[in-house]
Amino acid sequence: MTTAAATATAMPKPSTKALLEVRDLNIAFDTERGEIRPVRDVSLSIFPGQTVAVVGESGCGKSVTAMSILRLIPQPPGKVLSGSISLDGHDLLKLDERDMRRVRGKDIAMIFQEPMTSLNPVYTIGEQIMEAVVLHQRVGKREAREIAEQALRDVGIADPERRLDEYPHQMSGGMRQRVMIAMALSCKPKLLIADEPTTALDVTIQAQILELLRKLQREQGMAIMLITHDLGVVAENADVVAVMYASRIVECAKVEELFDHPQHPYTQGLFRSVPKLGAHSERLATIPGTVPNPAKFPSGCKFHTRCPLTRELAAKAGAEDTVEVVSGGERFRVLRRCNVEEPELRDIKPAHGAACHQIEGYDRSRVMVPKLADKREVVPVAVIDGDPEAVIKQQEQPT
Amino acid sequence: MSESAPTVPYASAPVKNDGRDPLPAGAPLVEVRDLKTHFPIRKGVLARTVGFVKAVDGVSFTIAPGKTLGLVGESGCGKTTVGRTILRLIPKTSGEVIYRGRDFFAYQGETLRRLRRHMQIVFQDPVSSLNPRMTIGNIIGEPIEVHGIAKGKAKRDMVAGLLQRVGLDPSYALRYPHEFSGGQRQRIGIARALALGPDFIVCDEPVSALDVSIQSQILNLLDDLQRERNIAYLFIAHNLAVVEHFSDEVAVMYLGRIVEKASSRELYANPKHPYTMALLSAVPEPNPRPKRQRIVLKGEVPSPSKPPTGCPFHPRCPLTRQAAAEAGAGDTVEITSGGERIRVLSKCKNEMPPLEQKQGEDGHVAACWVTK
Repeated sequence: MTTAAATATAMPKPSTKALLEVRDLNIAFDTERGEIRPVRDVSLSIFPGQTVAVVGESGCGKSVTAMSILRLIPQPPGKVLSGSISLDGHDLLKLDERDMRRVRGKDIAMIFQEPMTSLNPVYTIGEQIMEAVVLHQRVGKREAREIAEQALRDVGIADPERRLDEYPHQMSGGMRQRVMIAMALSCKPKLLIADEPTTALDVTIQAQILELLRKLQREQGMAIMLITHDLGVVAENADVVAVMYASRIVECAKVEELFDHPQHPYTQGLFRSVPKLGAHSERLATIPGTVPNPAKFPSGCKFHTRCPLTRELAAKAGAEDTVEVVSGGERFRVLRRCNVEEPELRDIKPAHGAACHQIEGYDRSRVMVPKLADKREVVPVAVIDGDPEAVIKQQEQPT
Repeated sequence: MSESAPTVPYASAPVKNDGRDPLPAGAPLVEVRDLKTHFPIRKGVLARTVGFVKAVDGVSFTIAPGKTLGLVGESGCGKTTVGRTILRLIPKTSGEVIYRGRDFFAYQGETLRRLRRHMQIVFQDPVSSLNPRMTIGNIIGEPIEVHGIAKGKAKRDMVAGLLQRVGLDPSYALRYPHEFSGGQRQRIGIARALALGPDFIVCDEPVSALDVSIQSQILNLLDDLQRERNIAYLFIAHNLAVVEHFSDEVAVMYLGRIVEKASSRELYANPKHPYTMALLSAVPEPNPRPKRQRIVLKGEVPSPSKPPTGCPFHPRCPLTRQAAAEAGAGDTVEITSGGERIRVLSKCKNEMPPLEQKQGEDGHVAACWVTK
């Protein structure tokens, strides 16, 4: 069984006009403990056919950012303080609810992490897919059923006619996630927002689903916003990566650049703390402390209480440039600037943004407006599915 | 995060008769022999048993003192049931669990209760596994008191020592679980498991619910505790990279059985079972230019209530298909898998392969008719 690893494929030329542009988005929520800010100054661009990954840990704001694009944030308690979200040049924040409903499902579709709770248990799979089709494509019931059947076939569900009449509980987790994808793609959206699409699935099923998304993206040319915490999933699927920490993007670059030269101490720490298959490391590197709660973010740089770099530099700096902080029951010194001033995302290298005062060249750099149109030219992983014929076919197929 | 030596004595007070048998030199601490756990499927008004889900169907392994056996597999493969059956949280159907040379299932009453001290469990979900109405001090202190190890001030000192050891402030003893983050709650769960001074802990997906930056903290803590106290772990997880990092030996389960077992290094460098190969290749690498090829398995894990005949993996197995393509028609048979008609080796369809030594390191066993 052989296949050319990393088959070079002729991808369409990167488009020069962004499909989605998020600019300086700020979102607040009123809670019992006061106002929290789950999204702060977030800017993102996604180009047609591109996959942009938003990476971060729980509570970093990645899902809220995604929800806000579809305007699914409940208001109140949520509110958009400032910023714009434009799709094909139309500001989604200015649309009325009726127009917005046309965008949801038609132009932008979303798949969620939990396929069990995202499907309605009292309707059949067919009814749920057809609802969106009838709504957005103005077709009759019979035609809608055909479209739904084809959608199930496209996501690799065997015997789609019969499956259309089944209920969600009759299906496995992987199957339900396929149904979610079929539903999302039935109206051929321009942008798919995939919020942790494979986190609840087993690895072999995850591999199937991600392969499916890549295939559908190649065929339909849709853009994907991939929200995940799994660096492996990012490495294999994203063209451009934005790393979020404490409601902000702290680093942004194309995927190879980010993995080869991570600049922000948080990104570096994240990469080091993940065990890698076959590495046989004796001990894992850790990031001390815990992810900060949005109700009580630290002052200055939100990472300074966990940052190894500022501690290291503080040890060498003069006492007047440092301050003592207490974090995780520990006392240590950090640089004063990190403690009082929050860094902004700046282009510290061409097409590579990071938000850290201590990176060489930060002070000389300009604020980054993420607009990276990069696309990979290589299919990340060659796939063998055990069927020798399929492997040969896949190699020959011009994509 | 302080992971330095504690200043408060945490060791359990010496108990005269702690119920344990001495461990003969070189003997495994825990030995599991042909363990089976079958759950009845009941139907109808009379709830008659119409069949069995063979969640665990003939699992054997040993764990040496202070060592870690990793148990990996996908959801529904029976890995969690193995861990719980060993601890007698679920009744077994047949088989033996030998702890320190004696059958753990043979113990009853008071002797069993005394022995339970030494075998503990850390759960996956640190939210639902801590009683929300109890303070941290009571959660950790209760087993200490129930087992008659310490009371009052001595108990509180032990709790403080345990908290400190797992990297938490001793003052947290007066707080409630909801006041803590996921990683902190998992530390509390570990402190509770440690309270009775066990020498065997079942860790059931201890880090899967945690953030990436917190996972490595917990793994390092478990690692330190093992070195310090010579604790053996049965480490159950679905994340292969975590299991490889953490385990001395790894067993791969599929549909209630172990299909391959080897030292951690050997298994990842030289996998023999096609399921292990697929599982390993499916893990996305944190590298944007991966060199590996990926085997994407077709279909899904079959239901353990009606597993396929012969080798349970044959309907999804790429190796048997390939072998069938090269073999004579007399040795192959056509089957339907995932709506597709494929040819597989007759032997794979009809006979269960034994777990046997394969080419490679001594002790590298796999259950497959095709692989060498």
